[in-house]
Amino acid sequence: MSYLEYNVKFVPTGLRKVLYINWVLVILLTSVAGLGFLMLYSVAGGSMDPWAGAQMKRFALGMSLMFIIAMVPIWFWRNMAVLAFGASLILLLLVDLVGVTGMGAQRWIDLGFMRLQPSELTKITLVMVLAAYYDWLDVSKVSRPLWVLLPLAMILVPTAMVLRQPDLGTSILLVAGGGAMMFLAGVNLFYFIAVIAAGVGLVTAVLVSKGTEWQILKDYQYRRIDTFLDPASDPLGAGYHITQSKITLGSGGWTGKGFMQGTQSRLSFLPEKHTDFIFTTLAEEFGFLGAASLLAMYLLIIIFCVVTALQNRDRFSSLLTLGIATTFFLFFAVNMSMVMGLAPVVGVPLPMVSYGGSAMLVLLVGFGLVQSAHVHKARQK
Amino acid sequence: MTRIPLRPLARILEARAKGENPDAIERENLRRRHDDMRDRARLRAEGRLLVLAGLFLCAFLVVGGRMAMLSATEASEPRAQAPGASIAMARADILDRNGRVLATNLATHALYAQPPQMVDPENAALALAQIFPDLKADELLADFTGSRKFLWIKKKLSPEQKQAVHDIGEPGLLFGPREMRLYPNGSLAAHVLGGASFGKEGVSAAEVIGVAGIEAQFDEYLRNPANGDAPLMLSLDLTVQAAVERVLYGGMKMMNAKGAAAVLMDVHTGEIVSIASLPDFDPNDRPRPLTQGDQSDSPLFNRAVQGVYELGSTFKIFAAAQAVELGLVNPATMVNTKGPLRWGKFRIRDFHDYGAQLSVTDVIVKSSNIGTARMAMDIGAARQRDFLATLGLLEATPVELVEAAGAKPLLPQNWSELSTMTISYGHGLSSSPLHLASAYASLLNGGTRVQPTLIRPTHVTVGPRIVTAETSAIARDMLRQVVVRGTASFGEVPGYAVGGKTGTADKPKPRGGYYDDKVIATFASVFPANNPKYVLVVTLDEPVETSGPKPRRTAGWTAVPVAAEIIRRVAPLMGLKPEIAPLSPTGVTLTSN
Repeated sequence: MSYLEYNVKFVPTGLRKVLYINWVLVILLTSVAGLGFLMLYSVAGGSMDPWAGAQMKRFALGMSLMFIIAMVPIWFWRNMAVLAFGASLILLLLVDLVGVTGMGAQRWIDLGFMRLQPSELTKITLVMVLAAYYDWLDVSKVSRPLWVLLPLAMILVPTAMVLRQPDLGTSILLVAGGGAMMFLAGVNLFYFIAVIAAGVGLVTAVLVSKGTEWQILKDYQYRRIDTFLDPASDPLGAGYHITQSKITLGSGGWTGKGFMQGTQSRLSFLPEKHTDFIFTTLAEEFGFLGAASLLAMYLLIIIFCVVTALQNRDRFSSLLTLGIATTFFLFFAVNMSMVMGLAPVVGVPLPMVSYGGSAMLVLLVGFGLVQSAHVHKARQK
Repeated sequence: MTRIPLRPLARILEARAKGENPDAIERENLRRRHDDMRDRARLRAEGRLLVLAGLFLCAFLVVGGRMAMLSATEASEPRAQAPGASIAMARADILDRNGRVLATNLATHALYAQPPQMVDPENAALALAQIFPDLKADELLADFTGSRKFLWIKKKLSPEQKQAVHDIGEPGLLFGPREMRLYPNGSLAAHVLGGASFGKEGVSAAEVIGVAGIEAQFDEYLRNPANGDAPLMLSLDLTVQAAVERVLYGGMKMMNAKGAAAVLMDVHTGEIVSIASLPDFDPNDRPRPLTQGDQSDSPLFNRAVQGVYELGSTFKIFAAAQAVELGLVNPATMVNTKGPLRWGKFRIRDFHDYGAQLSVTDVIVKSSNIGTARMAMDIGAARQRDFLATLGLLEATPVELVEAAGAKPLLPQNWSELSTMTISYGHGLSSSPLHLASAYASLLNGGTRVQPTLIRPTHVTVGPRIVTAETSAIARDMLRQVVVRGTASFGEVPGYAVGGKTGTADKPKPRGGYYDDKVIATFASVFPANNPKYVLVVTLDEPVETSGPKPRRTAGWTAVPVAAEIIRRVAPLMGLKPEIAPLSPTGVTLTSN
C-alpha cells in the first residue's frame, strides 16, 4: 500500500524475478493438470484424441501466459484492472449479440482458434477490479452504504448478464467470489447478514414461484433442484447424472479399479464424463486415494495463496491473491459437491482437470497474477 | 478506541517553550494515528481471512468425508420398483429320493417390443428374423409400424439369443426377466413331472404354473413362498428311472410294440421307485395334445397311470390267493380243469389242454383259465368284489398325479357270475399297470395294504391287513413257480428269485369284440420272492416277437424278457445283493396225492 515501503524493502527486478516465482505452485498446478491429462486419456479409451492432446496444448499456452504475467509488475495489473473489467463486460454483451449457442446456452465467442467464454474471463477481472477498488478506497469508508453499493453493482451487473445466457454455475461463482472479496476487505458484517437473509428469502421465492406464471428459474433448473433433493426419484431421467455419478464414485472403493480400468465412465454410463464429471473417472480408477490426493493438491495450492497473501503488505496484491484463491476454491468445491450429490448439478468444471480451454486459460492467467503479486511483494533486505 | 489527539496542548506548550516547531508533533501524531488505523484494518482483514480459511477447511473436510463415505459404500445399480413384482417367483425344485434335481428354475428373459420407442423398426425386424428363423420380417415390421404400443416377441431367450438381440441396439426391444422351469434330465420321468408353462405374464416377471403330473398336482405347494423354497422330494430314483426307461425302450423296439409301461414299487411302503411310459416327451418342450385320433396314442398319455387295460392272467393270483385265504383250497388241492367250461352260451377255454385236473399251484403255473374260473365260482361274486376292492382295483389310485384321478378302472355293469369267472382271469375288468403293481405289492408284502405314492414318505405306516402272512407267502411261492417252471421261464434272473405272473389279453375293438392279433402283454413280478422287496409290472402294447417261425405275442415271450432285463439292471442299483433262494419255500410242502 505504501509506496514508501518499496523503497526501504527489496523488490526483485529484471531476470532475477524468475528466481522469485513460486515454483512449488507451478509444480502443483502442473501435477493437477497432469492428472487431468491422464483422466482425459483414459476417458477417451486410451487415446490422446480427442481430449488429452488438445488439453495439453492449452495448458502449455496457459503456462506461458502465466509466466509472462508473473514477470509484469503487479502495480501494472492494478492499473489495468478497470480496463480489463470493462473489456470483459463488453465481451459479455457481445456474447448476447453474436455468441455461439452450445448445449442450449449462449456462452461462447468463436475466436477462430478457440472458443472464448467471456463469463470465465469475468471471474478474474471481477476479482481484479474489486481488489483495485478496495486498494484505492480509504479503509475508513469501506462500510459506508454508498461505497458498498458500488462493488455490489460491479458484482451484480456481470452476474445478471451471465445468468441471461443462462449459466447458473458461473453466476453462483461470481456472486460467491465477489462476496468473499467484500468480506475480506472488511465490509461490515451486518451487510452480509442482510444479504444472507435476502438470499433465504429469494430461495423461498424461487421455490414458491415454481409452477406459477412469475416462475423465476427455468423448468430444467427446478428439475435439477428436485433431483438434487431426491435423486432416486428418477434414476433414469433427471436423476441419471447424480445416480450414475454416485455409483461410479462408490465403485472405485478405496484404491480404485486401476488406470484405464474404470467401467462406468469408459462405458459411457456418465454423460459429460470428460468435462464436469471427470472427477468420477478419477475416483473410479484411483479410488479414494486418488481423489484425496487431488484434494490435497488443491488444498496446498490454496494454502500457498493464503500464506503469500498474509505476508504481502500490499493491499491490492493481498486481496487479488485471496480472490483468485477463493474463485479456484469455489470451482472445485462446487464441482465436487455436485458430483457427489451434495449440491445440485450446475455446470462448473473441475479446475485444471476438466476438458475445456477457457476455464483453464483463465485460471492460469489468474495464477499468473498471483505469481506476479508474489514476485513483486516487498521483502526484507 | 481512544483517538490520539493531534495537537496535545501540554506537548505543544512544552515544545514552544523549548523553541521547537510544534507542527512536527502534529505530523508525528498523524502518522501514529494512520499506523493505528492500518494496523486495525489489517488485524480485521487477517481475522476475516482466518474465518474464510476456516470455511475452506470445512468444505474440504465435507468433500473429503463424503468421498470417503462413497468409497466405503458398496456401489449398487439403482432399481426402479418393478410394477409386476407381486407375481411370485421362485418355484420350488423337485428332487429325486437321493436329492438329485429333477426340476429346477433357470433365469432367462422374455423379449418384447415397444414400437413407439423404436428408432429403426425396419432394421430391427430384419435382424430379429435373422436371429429367430421362425419369425417373419415383414410381419414384425407390420407390428412395429402399426398402432401397437406393446407386443411380446419371444417368451424365452437363450443367452446367445439375448446377446444377439442386444447387439441390434434397438431401444424399442426390451427384455423382461423370466424364471423358466427347467428339467435338466430331458425326457426322464416326463410323465411324472408333467411340465409347466407361464401363467400371468408381466414385463418384469411371469407366473410359472404346472400343467400336468406332479407339477400340476403340487402347483400350490411349489409356488407357495411360505414353504421357504423347500424342495419337493419324490420317491423316484433317478438312476433306476433312467435304467428302466432305457431297457423298456429297447424292449419295446425289440418286441415291435407301439407302447410300453413299467412300474417299479417298494412292496412295503408303496413308494414308486420308477414309473415309465413310452413313447414319452420332453417336459422342457411339452408337445401339444392331439387334436384328433386316440388320445392314448399321444406321447403325453401316461400308460402306466392313465392306461386302463384288461390285464389278463396276472389277475389269476388274486383268485388263487383268496381261495387259499378263505380255506377253500390249499396249494396242492386238485382243481377240475376239464374244458371247455360252459356257462350259458359262453365257453371258457385254456390256451392248451391241461388235462382233467391240476393242483392250485399248477393252475397258476400253467395259467389255466378254467381252473381259475372254478375257484372264482367257489368264492362267489360278492366276496371276489370285496377282495378286489381291498386291493384297490376298483377305484382310481391315490397317486399324486393329476391324471390319476381320471383313471378309474372299468368295471362290469352287472357283476354277474360270468363276470366273476372272467374277472378271475383278468377279463371284464380294466385297470392300469399302477393298479396292478399296488395290488401285487399289497398281496405279496406279507398281506398289508399299501397305497402307491410318488412322494418320499416321512414315516412308514403299515396298512390294514388283507390276507395272512401265510397266504401271502403261498402266493409268492406260486408266482416263483411260474418263473421256475411255468409261463414266465424267461423271467429268471439268477440271484434275485423272481416270481411273477404273465398276462396276455386281447385288445378290445373300439366297437366291441376283440382283435385276435393285438394284445396287451403284461408281466407282474415280485423279487426276491422269498423276501419281497419290490414289485415290477411291465406292460407292452401290441408286442410281436418275430424270431421264431410264427409271430409270438404272449407275455412269456414279450413282456417277461423285458421285465427280467429290467430286474437284472436295477436290482443292483437299488442295493439288492444276489443270493440263492432256498429251494423249499416257506411252510408249504408239495405233496402228491
